[in-house]
Amino acid sequence: METIRDLIPPPHIQGIKHFIDYALVDEILRSKDFRQGSHQESQPFFGDSLLTIDHDVHFERRRLQAPLFRKEALEYYEHEELLPLIDKALEECKGNRDETGTVRTDLCALVRTMLARISAVTTGIDGVDTPERTDAFRTYIEQLGTGATVEWSTEDHSEVISRILKIREGFVQEFYGPSVERRKKLIEQFRNGDLGEDELPRDLLTLMYLHWNEEWDEELPLREATLYLVASSQTTTHAVPHLMIHLHEWFQEHPEDYEKRFDRDFLKQAGHEDIRLHLPSPALLRIALKDVTLSNGTEIKKDERVACLFTPANRDKTVFGDNARSFNPYRETPNVKPWGFAFGGGEHTCIGRTLVTGLSARTDNDEGTDGTLVNIAAALYKAGIEIDPLDLPSYTELSHHDAYGRFPILLTNL
Amino acid sequence: MANKVFNLRINREICQGTGYCVRISPELFELEDSTQAKVLVAEPPAEFEEEILEASTLCPTRAITY
Repeated sequence: METIRDLIPPPHIQGIKHFIDYALVDEILRSKDFRQGSHQESQPFFGDSLLTIDHDVHFERRRLQAPLFRKEALEYYEHEELLPLIDKALEECKGNRDETGTVRTDLCALVRTMLARISAVTTGIDGVDTPERTDAFRTYIEQLGTGATVEWSTEDHSEVISRILKIREGFVQEFYGPSVERRKKLIEQFRNGDLGEDELPRDLLTLMYLHWNEEWDEELPLREATLYLVASSQTTTHAVPHLMIHLHEWFQEHPEDYEKRFDRDFLKQAGHEDIRLHLPSPALLRIALKDVTLSNGTEIKKDERVACLFTPANRDKTVFGDNARSFNPYRETPNVKPWGFAFGGGEHTCIGRTLVTGLSARTDNDEGTDGTLVNIAAALYKAGIEIDPLDLPSYTELSHHDAYGRFPILLTNL
Repeated sequence: MANKVFNLRINREICQGTGYCVRISPELFELEDSTQAKVLVAEPPAEFEEEILEASTLCPTRAITY
Protein backbone atom coordinates (compact mmCIF):
# COMPACT_ATOMS: atom_id res chain seq x y z
CA MET A 1 0.00 0.00 0.00
CA GLU A 2 1.30 3.43 -0.95
CA THR A 3 1.72 5.42 2.27
CA ILE A 4 3.02 8.71 0.84
CA ARG A 5 0.87 10.17 -1.93
CA ASP A 6 1.18 13.31 -4.02
CA LEU A 7 -1.40 16.08 -3.75
CA ILE A 8 -3.75 16.17 -6.70
CA PRO A 9 -5.25 19.66 -6.63
CA PRO A 10 -9.01 19.36 -6.10
CA PRO A 11 -11.43 21.28 -8.36
CA HIS A 12 -11.72 24.33 -6.10
CA ILE A 13 -8.05 25.22 -6.54
CA GLN A 14 -7.69 24.40 -10.21
CA GLY A 15 -7.26 27.26 -12.67
CA ILE A 16 -5.45 29.61 -10.30
CA LYS A 17 -1.73 30.17 -9.69
CA HIS A 18 -0.15 27.45 -7.57
CA PHE A 19 2.92 27.89 -5.37
CA ILE A 20 4.83 24.78 -4.38
CA ASP A 21 8.29 26.08 -3.39
CA TYR A 22 8.78 26.38 0.36
CA ALA A 23 10.36 29.83 0.15
CA LEU A 24 7.58 31.35 -1.99
CA VAL A 25 4.80 29.84 0.12
CA ASP A 26 6.52 31.22 3.20
CA GLU A 27 6.81 34.63 1.56
CA ILE A 28 3.09 34.73 0.73
CA LEU A 29 2.00 33.56 4.17
CA ARG A 30 4.14 36.16 5.91
CA SER A 31 3.10 38.99 3.61
CA LYS A 32 0.61 41.54 4.84
CA ASP A 33 -0.38 42.18 1.22
CA PHE A 34 -2.67 39.13 1.18
CA ARG A 35 -5.78 38.07 3.02
CA GLN A 36 -7.33 34.69 3.69
CA GLY A 37 -8.89 33.19 0.56
CA SER A 38 -9.84 29.72 1.76
CA HIS A 39 -13.19 28.49 3.07
CA GLN A 40 -15.43 30.36 0.63
CA GLU A 41 -18.02 27.58 0.29
CA SER A 42 -17.79 26.63 3.96
CA GLN A 43 -18.74 30.11 5.17
CA PRO A 44 -21.90 28.80 6.88
CA PHE A 45 -19.63 26.78 9.16
CA PHE A 46 -16.45 28.86 9.50
CA GLY A 47 -17.47 32.35 8.28
CA ASP A 48 -15.87 35.22 10.24
CA SER A 49 -14.16 32.77 12.56
CA LEU A 50 -10.51 33.28 13.51
CA LEU A 51 -9.52 31.20 10.51
CA THR A 52 -11.08 33.53 7.97
CA ILE A 53 -10.43 37.03 9.33
CA ASP A 54 -7.28 39.04 8.83
CA HIS A 55 -4.97 41.71 10.15
CA ASP A 56 -6.29 43.96 12.98
CA VAL A 57 -9.52 42.01 13.46
CA HIS A 58 -7.57 38.76 13.50
CA PHE A 59 -5.13 40.14 16.06
CA GLU A 60 -7.91 41.26 18.41
CA ARG A 61 -9.80 37.95 18.16
CA ARG A 62 -6.61 35.99 18.68
CA ARG A 63 -5.75 38.13 21.68
CA LEU A 64 -9.14 37.40 23.19
CA GLN A 65 -8.61 33.66 22.79
CA ALA A 66 -4.93 33.51 23.72
CA PRO A 67 -5.52 32.78 27.45
CA LEU A 68 -6.80 29.34 26.42
CA PHE A 69 -3.31 28.51 25.15
CA ARG A 70 -1.16 29.85 27.96
CA LYS A 71 1.49 27.51 29.27
CA GLU A 72 -0.50 26.80 32.43
CA ALA A 73 -3.64 26.05 30.42
CA LEU A 74 -1.77 23.66 28.12
CA GLU A 75 -0.27 21.88 31.14
CA TYR A 76 -3.74 21.60 32.65
CA TYR A 77 -5.30 20.20 29.45
CA GLU A 78 -2.51 17.65 29.07
CA HIS A 79 -2.30 16.37 32.63
CA GLU A 80 -5.85 16.81 33.91
CA GLU A 81 -7.87 16.16 30.76
CA LEU A 82 -5.97 14.47 27.94
CA LEU A 83 -4.04 11.77 29.80
CA PRO A 84 -7.05 10.56 31.85
CA LEU A 85 -9.21 10.64 28.72
CA ILE A 86 -6.73 8.54 26.75
CA ASP A 87 -6.72 6.01 29.60
CA LYS A 88 -10.52 6.11 29.79
CA ALA A 89 -10.94 5.48 26.07
CA LEU A 90 -8.57 2.51 26.21
CA GLU A 91 -10.25 1.22 29.36
CA GLU A 92 -13.59 1.24 27.55
CA CYS A 93 -12.03 -0.87 24.78
CA LYS A 94 -11.39 -3.67 27.27
CA GLY A 95 -15.05 -4.62 27.08
CA ASN A 96 -14.44 -5.77 23.50
CA ARG A 97 -11.59 -8.21 24.22
CA ASP A 98 -11.87 -11.53 22.40
CA GLU A 99 -10.95 -14.93 23.84
CA THR A 100 -7.22 -14.18 23.32
CA GLY A 101 -7.49 -10.85 25.11
CA THR A 102 -7.10 -8.88 21.88
CA VAL A 103 -9.27 -5.87 21.06
CA ARG A 104 -10.16 -5.12 17.43
CA THR A 105 -11.16 -1.53 16.83
CA ASP A 106 -10.87 1.36 14.38
CA LEU A 107 -8.03 3.77 15.09
CA CYS A 108 -9.74 6.81 13.53
CA ALA A 109 -12.79 6.40 15.78
CA LEU A 110 -10.67 5.63 18.83
CA VAL A 111 -8.55 8.77 18.45
CA ARG A 112 -11.66 10.90 17.91
CA THR A 113 -13.10 9.51 21.12
CA MET A 114 -9.89 10.31 22.99
CA LEU A 115 -9.97 13.89 21.73
CA ALA A 116 -13.69 14.54 22.01
CA ARG A 117 -13.71 15.71 25.60
CA ILE A 118 -10.60 17.88 25.36
CA SER A 119 -12.25 19.57 22.36
CA ALA A 120 -15.35 20.05 24.49
CA VAL A 121 -13.35 21.46 27.40
CA THR A 122 -11.45 24.05 25.38
CA THR A 123 -14.55 25.06 23.42
CA GLY A 124 -17.01 25.06 26.31
CA ILE A 125 -19.40 22.22 25.48
CA ASP A 126 -20.96 20.49 28.47
CA GLY A 127 -22.28 16.98 28.85
CA VAL A 128 -19.63 15.04 26.97
CA ASP A 129 -19.35 12.53 29.78
CA THR A 130 -20.84 9.07 29.24
CA PRO A 131 -19.63 6.78 26.41
CA GLU A 132 -22.98 7.29 24.65
CA ARG A 133 -22.82 11.09 24.88
CA THR A 134 -19.15 11.09 23.84
CA ASP A 135 -20.03 8.94 20.85
CA ALA A 136 -22.86 11.29 19.85
CA PHE A 137 -20.62 14.33 20.29
CA ARG A 138 -17.80 12.71 18.31
CA THR A 139 -20.18 11.99 15.46
CA TYR A 140 -21.34 15.61 15.44
CA ILE A 141 -17.72 16.81 15.23
CA GLU A 142 -17.05 14.47 12.32
CA GLN A 143 -20.12 15.77 10.48
CA LEU A 144 -19.31 19.41 11.22
CA GLY A 145 -15.81 18.72 9.92
CA THR A 146 -17.28 17.48 6.66
CA GLY A 147 -19.23 20.72 6.29
CA ALA A 148 -16.33 22.92 7.32
CA THR A 149 -14.07 21.38 4.68
CA VAL A 150 -16.74 21.00 2.00
CA GLU A 151 -14.35 22.46 -0.60
CA TRP A 152 -12.44 19.16 -0.40
CA SER A 153 -15.47 16.89 -0.53
CA THR A 154 -15.88 14.44 -3.41
CA GLU A 155 -19.67 14.57 -2.91
CA ASP A 156 -22.04 17.22 -4.30
CA HIS A 157 -21.07 20.33 -2.32
CA SER A 158 -24.48 21.98 -2.05
CA GLU A 159 -25.96 18.69 -0.87
CA VAL A 160 -23.23 18.37 1.76
CA ILE A 161 -23.84 21.91 3.03
CA SER A 162 -27.61 21.43 3.40
CA ARG A 163 -27.18 18.02 5.00
CA ILE A 164 -24.64 19.23 7.55
CA LEU A 165 -26.58 22.40 8.37
CA LYS A 166 -29.50 20.17 9.27
CA ILE A 167 -27.25 17.98 11.41
CA ARG A 168 -25.88 21.12 13.07
CA GLU A 169 -29.37 21.92 14.31
CA GLY A 170 -29.27 18.68 16.27
CA PHE A 171 -25.87 19.57 17.67
CA VAL A 172 -27.16 22.97 18.78
CA GLN A 173 -30.19 21.45 20.44
CA GLU A 174 -28.34 18.63 22.14
CA PHE A 175 -24.98 20.14 23.12
CA TYR A 176 -24.27 23.72 22.05
CA GLY A 177 -27.47 25.47 23.11
CA PRO A 178 -27.55 24.21 26.71
CA SER A 179 -23.82 24.95 27.07
CA VAL A 180 -24.27 28.53 25.91
CA GLU A 181 -27.26 29.06 28.18
CA ARG A 182 -25.31 27.85 31.22
CA ARG A 183 -22.44 30.19 30.40
CA LYS A 184 -24.72 33.17 29.90
CA LYS A 185 -26.22 32.55 33.34
CA LEU A 186 -22.79 32.24 34.95
CA ILE A 187 -21.64 35.45 33.29
CA GLU A 188 -24.78 37.19 34.55
CA GLN A 189 -24.01 35.97 38.08
CA PHE A 190 -20.45 37.26 37.69
CA ARG A 191 -21.71 40.66 36.52
CA ASN A 192 -24.10 40.81 39.48
CA GLY A 193 -21.21 40.14 41.84
CA ASP A 194 -22.51 36.68 42.83
CA LEU A 195 -19.59 34.85 41.23
CA GLY A 196 -15.87 35.54 41.02
CA GLU A 197 -14.19 35.74 37.62
CA ASP A 198 -11.99 32.79 38.53
CA GLU A 199 -15.15 30.72 39.06
CA LEU A 200 -16.16 31.14 35.42
CA PRO A 201 -15.30 28.32 33.02
CA ARG A 202 -12.11 28.92 31.06
CA ASP A 203 -13.19 28.15 27.53
CA LEU A 204 -13.89 29.75 24.17
CA LEU A 205 -17.63 30.29 24.59
CA THR A 206 -17.25 31.90 28.01
CA LEU A 207 -14.58 34.24 26.68
CA MET A 208 -16.74 35.26 23.72
CA TYR A 209 -19.90 35.95 25.73
CA LEU A 210 -17.92 37.64 28.51
CA HIS A 211 -16.25 39.98 26.03
CA TRP A 212 -19.11 40.29 23.54
CA ASN A 213 -18.42 42.57 20.58
CA GLU A 214 -21.47 44.36 19.16
CA GLU A 215 -20.09 43.89 15.65
CA TRP A 216 -20.47 40.12 15.98
CA ASP A 217 -23.58 38.37 14.70
CA GLU A 218 -25.49 36.06 17.04
CA GLU A 219 -24.28 32.93 15.28
CA LEU A 220 -20.58 33.80 15.33
CA PRO A 221 -19.84 31.88 18.58
CA LEU A 222 -21.32 28.78 16.95
CA ARG A 223 -19.04 29.11 13.94
CA GLU A 224 -16.04 29.86 16.14
CA ALA A 225 -16.93 26.85 18.29
CA THR A 226 -17.18 24.74 15.13
CA LEU A 227 -13.67 25.82 14.18
CA TYR A 228 -12.35 24.85 17.61
CA LEU A 229 -14.15 21.51 17.68
CA VAL A 230 -13.14 20.50 14.20
CA ALA A 231 -9.57 21.81 14.29
CA SER A 232 -8.76 20.50 17.75
CA SER A 233 -9.61 16.94 16.82
CA GLN A 234 -8.96 16.88 13.08
CA THR A 235 -5.19 17.37 13.07
CA THR A 236 -4.45 14.59 15.52
CA THR A 237 -7.09 12.24 14.12
CA HIS A 238 -5.61 12.82 10.70
CA ALA A 239 -2.02 12.37 11.88
CA VAL A 240 -2.11 9.35 14.21
CA PRO A 241 -3.02 6.71 11.57
CA HIS A 242 -0.29 7.97 9.23
CA LEU A 243 2.16 7.93 12.14
CA MET A 244 1.29 4.36 13.06
CA ILE A 245 1.84 3.17 9.49
CA HIS A 246 5.12 5.03 9.09
CA LEU A 247 6.49 3.76 12.38
CA HIS A 248 5.33 0.23 11.53
CA GLU A 249 7.38 0.43 8.32
CA TRP A 250 10.27 2.17 10.06
CA PHE A 251 10.53 -0.51 12.77
CA GLN A 252 10.47 -3.24 10.09
CA GLU A 253 13.38 -1.57 8.32
CA HIS A 254 15.16 -0.48 11.53
CA PRO A 255 14.40 -3.17 14.14
CA GLU A 256 17.02 -1.66 16.43
CA ASP A 257 14.66 1.32 16.91
CA TYR A 258 11.66 -0.74 18.01
CA GLU A 259 12.44 -0.18 21.68
CA LYS A 260 12.07 3.55 21.05
CA ARG A 261 8.31 3.21 20.64
CA PHE A 262 8.02 4.41 24.24
CA ASP A 263 10.65 7.13 23.90
CA ARG A 264 8.80 10.45 23.93
CA ASP A 265 11.57 12.39 22.22
CA PHE A 266 11.66 9.85 19.40
CA LEU A 267 7.86 9.90 19.11
CA LYS A 268 7.88 13.69 19.06
CA GLN A 269 10.37 13.79 16.16
CA ALA A 270 8.41 11.06 14.37
CA GLY A 271 5.17 13.00 14.91
CA HIS A 272 6.64 16.19 13.48
CA GLU A 273 7.90 14.28 10.45
CA ASP A 274 4.50 12.65 10.06
CA ILE A 275 2.56 15.92 9.95
CA ARG A 276 5.15 17.42 7.62
CA LEU A 277 4.30 14.69 5.12
CA HIS A 278 0.55 14.46 5.76
CA LEU A 279 -1.00 17.85 6.28
CA PRO A 280 -4.52 18.12 7.63
CA SER A 281 -4.88 21.26 5.48
CA PRO A 282 -2.88 20.48 2.34
CA ALA A 283 -3.43 23.85 0.67
CA LEU A 284 -4.42 27.35 1.61
CA LEU A 285 -5.68 30.14 -0.60
CA ARG A 286 -4.73 33.80 -0.36
CA ILE A 287 -6.20 36.87 -2.05
CA ALA A 288 -3.90 39.77 -2.96
CA LEU A 289 -4.88 43.11 -1.42
CA LYS A 290 -2.91 44.99 -4.10
CA ASP A 291 -0.65 44.24 -7.07
CA VAL A 292 2.23 42.20 -5.66
CA THR A 293 5.55 41.14 -7.17
CA LEU A 294 7.13 38.21 -5.35
CA SER A 295 10.88 37.87 -4.83
CA ASN A 296 11.17 35.51 -7.84
CA GLY A 297 9.45 38.06 -10.08
CA THR A 298 6.00 36.43 -10.15
CA GLU A 299 3.31 39.09 -10.49
CA ILE A 300 -0.01 38.74 -8.69
CA LYS A 301 -2.81 41.16 -9.45
CA LYS A 302 -4.97 42.86 -6.85
CA ASP A 303 -7.90 40.58 -5.85
CA GLU A 304 -6.26 37.56 -7.51
CA ARG A 305 -6.61 34.28 -5.59
CA VAL A 306 -3.55 32.09 -5.38
CA ALA A 307 -3.05 28.64 -3.89
CA CYS A 308 -0.21 27.75 -1.55
CA LEU A 309 0.19 23.99 -1.90
CA PHE A 310 1.60 22.90 1.43
CA THR A 311 2.06 19.23 0.57
CA PRO A 312 4.69 19.76 -2.16
CA ALA A 313 6.18 22.73 -0.27
CA ASN A 314 6.67 20.47 2.75
CA ARG A 315 8.54 18.03 0.51
CA ASP A 316 10.80 20.69 -1.01
CA LYS A 317 14.25 19.08 -1.40
CA THR A 318 16.05 22.39 -1.02
CA VAL A 319 14.70 22.68 2.52
CA PHE A 320 14.17 19.11 3.75
CA GLY A 321 16.91 17.28 1.80
CA ASP A 322 17.02 14.89 -1.16
CA ASN A 323 14.88 12.33 0.66
CA ALA A 324 12.23 14.93 1.55
CA ARG A 325 9.42 12.73 0.21
CA SER A 326 10.21 9.93 2.65
CA PHE A 327 9.61 9.46 6.37
CA ASN A 328 12.69 9.89 8.54
CA PRO A 329 12.21 10.50 12.27
CA TYR A 330 15.83 11.60 12.52
CA ARG A 331 15.48 14.36 9.94
CA GLU A 332 17.16 17.59 10.94
CA THR A 333 15.61 20.87 9.82
CA PRO A 334 17.86 23.52 11.34
CA ASN A 335 16.29 26.58 9.71
CA VAL A 336 12.59 25.75 9.62
CA LYS A 337 9.97 24.24 11.85
CA PRO A 338 10.11 20.43 11.55
CA TRP A 339 6.42 20.28 10.59
CA GLY A 340 6.82 22.93 7.88
CA PHE A 341 3.42 24.39 6.97
CA ALA A 342 1.33 21.76 8.76
CA PHE A 343 -0.15 24.56 10.88
CA GLY A 344 -0.08 27.24 8.18
CA GLY A 345 2.15 30.26 8.61
CA GLY A 346 2.25 33.98 9.29
CA GLU A 347 -0.54 35.47 11.37
CA HIS A 348 -2.81 32.56 10.45
CA THR A 349 -0.58 29.97 12.08
CA CYS A 350 -2.97 27.65 13.89
CA ILE A 351 -3.63 28.97 17.41
CA GLY A 352 -4.03 25.42 18.72
CA ARG A 353 -0.77 24.06 17.33
CA THR A 354 0.72 23.57 20.80
CA LEU A 355 -2.14 21.23 21.74
CA VAL A 356 -0.94 18.86 19.02
CA THR A 357 2.85 19.25 19.07
CA GLY A 358 3.25 20.26 22.69
CA LEU A 359 4.85 23.46 23.90
CA SER A 360 8.62 23.56 24.20
CA ALA A 361 9.98 24.94 27.48
CA ARG A 362 9.21 28.63 27.95
CA THR A 363 11.78 29.17 30.70
CA ASP A 364 14.94 27.44 31.84
CA ASN A 365 12.94 25.84 34.63
CA ASP A 366 10.01 24.16 32.92
CA GLU A 367 9.73 21.11 30.73
CA GLY A 368 6.93 22.08 28.37
CA THR A 369 4.24 19.66 27.22
CA ASP A 370 4.26 16.70 24.82
CA GLY A 371 0.96 17.34 23.02
CA THR A 372 -1.77 15.01 21.81
CA LEU A 373 0.23 13.24 19.12
CA VAL A 374 3.00 11.96 21.41
CA ASN A 375 0.69 11.11 24.28
CA ILE A 376 -1.71 9.14 22.11
CA ALA A 377 1.08 7.34 20.24
CA ALA A 378 2.78 6.37 23.52
CA ALA A 379 -0.50 5.08 24.96
CA LEU A 380 -1.22 3.06 21.81
CA TYR A 381 2.18 1.38 21.95
CA LYS A 382 1.66 0.63 25.63
CA ALA A 383 -1.68 -0.96 24.68
CA GLY A 384 0.14 -3.16 22.14
CA ILE A 385 -1.12 -1.59 18.91
CA GLU A 386 -0.70 -3.63 15.74
CA ILE A 387 -2.10 -2.93 12.29
CA ASP A 388 -4.68 -5.65 11.57
CA PRO A 389 -2.94 -7.89 8.99
CA LEU A 390 -6.27 -9.31 7.80
CA ASP A 391 -8.07 -6.00 7.35
CA LEU A 392 -5.73 -3.34 5.99
CA PRO A 393 -6.45 0.39 6.30
CA SER A 394 -7.93 2.33 3.42
CA TYR A 395 -8.06 5.99 2.44
CA THR A 396 -11.29 7.94 2.62
CA GLU A 397 -13.23 8.23 -0.63
CA LEU A 398 -15.38 11.10 0.64
CA SER A 399 -12.67 13.74 0.46
CA HIS A 400 -9.59 14.78 -1.51
CA HIS A 401 -7.76 14.97 1.82
CA ASP A 402 -4.82 12.63 2.44
CA ALA A 403 -6.78 10.87 5.19
CA TYR A 404 -7.64 7.35 6.20
CA GLY A 405 -11.32 6.45 6.29
CA ARG A 406 -10.81 3.05 7.94
CA PHE A 407 -7.88 1.94 10.04
CA PRO A 408 -8.52 -1.41 11.73
CA ILE A 409 -6.09 -2.15 14.56
CA LEU A 410 -5.44 -4.77 17.20
CA LEU A 411 -4.69 -3.84 20.79
CA THR A 412 -2.89 -6.84 22.25
CA ASN A 413 -1.80 -5.56 25.63
CA LEU A 414 -4.89 -4.08 27.25
CA MET B 1 8.15 37.64 42.70
CA ALA B 2 9.17 41.28 43.30
CA ASN B 3 12.79 40.54 42.41
CA LYS B 4 11.96 38.28 39.49
CA VAL B 5 13.89 39.14 36.36
CA PHE B 6 13.11 37.57 33.02
CA ASN B 7 15.53 36.30 30.42
CA LEU B 8 13.63 37.42 27.35
CA ARG B 9 14.58 35.81 24.02
CA ILE B 10 13.17 35.45 20.52
CA ASN B 11 14.01 32.36 18.50
CA ARG B 12 14.94 34.08 15.26
CA GLU B 13 14.69 30.89 13.24
CA ILE B 14 10.96 30.65 13.80
CA CYS B 15 9.97 34.30 14.28
CA GLN B 16 7.79 35.32 11.33
CA GLY B 17 7.65 39.02 12.03
CA THR B 18 3.90 39.33 12.56
CA GLY B 19 4.68 42.10 15.05
CA TYR B 20 2.14 40.86 17.60
CA CYS B 21 4.74 41.14 20.38
CA VAL B 22 5.38 44.77 19.44
CA ARG B 23 1.66 45.52 19.64
CA ILE B 24 1.55 43.98 23.13
CA SER B 25 4.68 45.66 24.43
CA PRO B 26 6.56 48.22 22.34
CA GLU B 27 8.80 48.77 25.37
CA LEU B 28 10.14 45.23 25.14
CA PHE B 29 9.99 44.37 21.44
CA GLU B 30 10.69 46.02 18.11
CA LEU B 31 10.28 44.96 14.49
CA GLU B 32 13.70 44.88 12.90
CA ASP B 33 12.23 44.49 9.43
CA SER B 34 9.11 42.88 7.99
CA THR B 35 10.35 39.38 8.84
CA GLN B 36 11.94 39.63 12.27
CA ALA B 37 11.25 41.02 15.72
CA LYS B 38 13.93 41.68 18.29
CA VAL B 39 14.08 42.06 22.05
CA LEU B 40 14.77 45.57 23.33
CA VAL B 41 15.16 44.70 27.01
CA ALA B 42 16.85 41.35 27.57
CA GLU B 43 16.19 41.19 31.31
CA PRO B 44 12.97 43.06 31.98
CA PRO B 45 11.83 43.37 35.60
CA ALA B 46 8.82 41.66 37.19
CA GLU B 47 6.42 44.51 36.40
CA PHE B 48 6.46 43.34 32.77
CA GLU B 49 5.36 39.82 33.63
CA GLU B 50 1.84 40.05 32.22
CA GLU B 51 3.01 41.60 28.95
CA ILE B 52 5.72 38.96 28.56
CA LEU B 53 3.28 36.11 29.15
CA GLU B 54 0.76 37.59 26.74
CA ALA B 55 3.34 38.26 24.03
CA SER B 56 4.74 34.75 24.41
CA THR B 57 1.29 33.16 24.13
CA LEU B 58 0.04 35.38 21.34
CA CYS B 59 3.11 34.94 19.13
CA PRO B 60 1.76 32.69 16.31
CA THR B 61 4.98 30.65 16.22
CA ARG B 62 5.60 30.75 20.00
CA ALA B 63 9.06 32.13 19.29
CA ILE B 64 9.33 34.03 22.59
CA THR B 65 10.79 32.43 25.72
CA TYR B 66 11.46 34.06 29.04
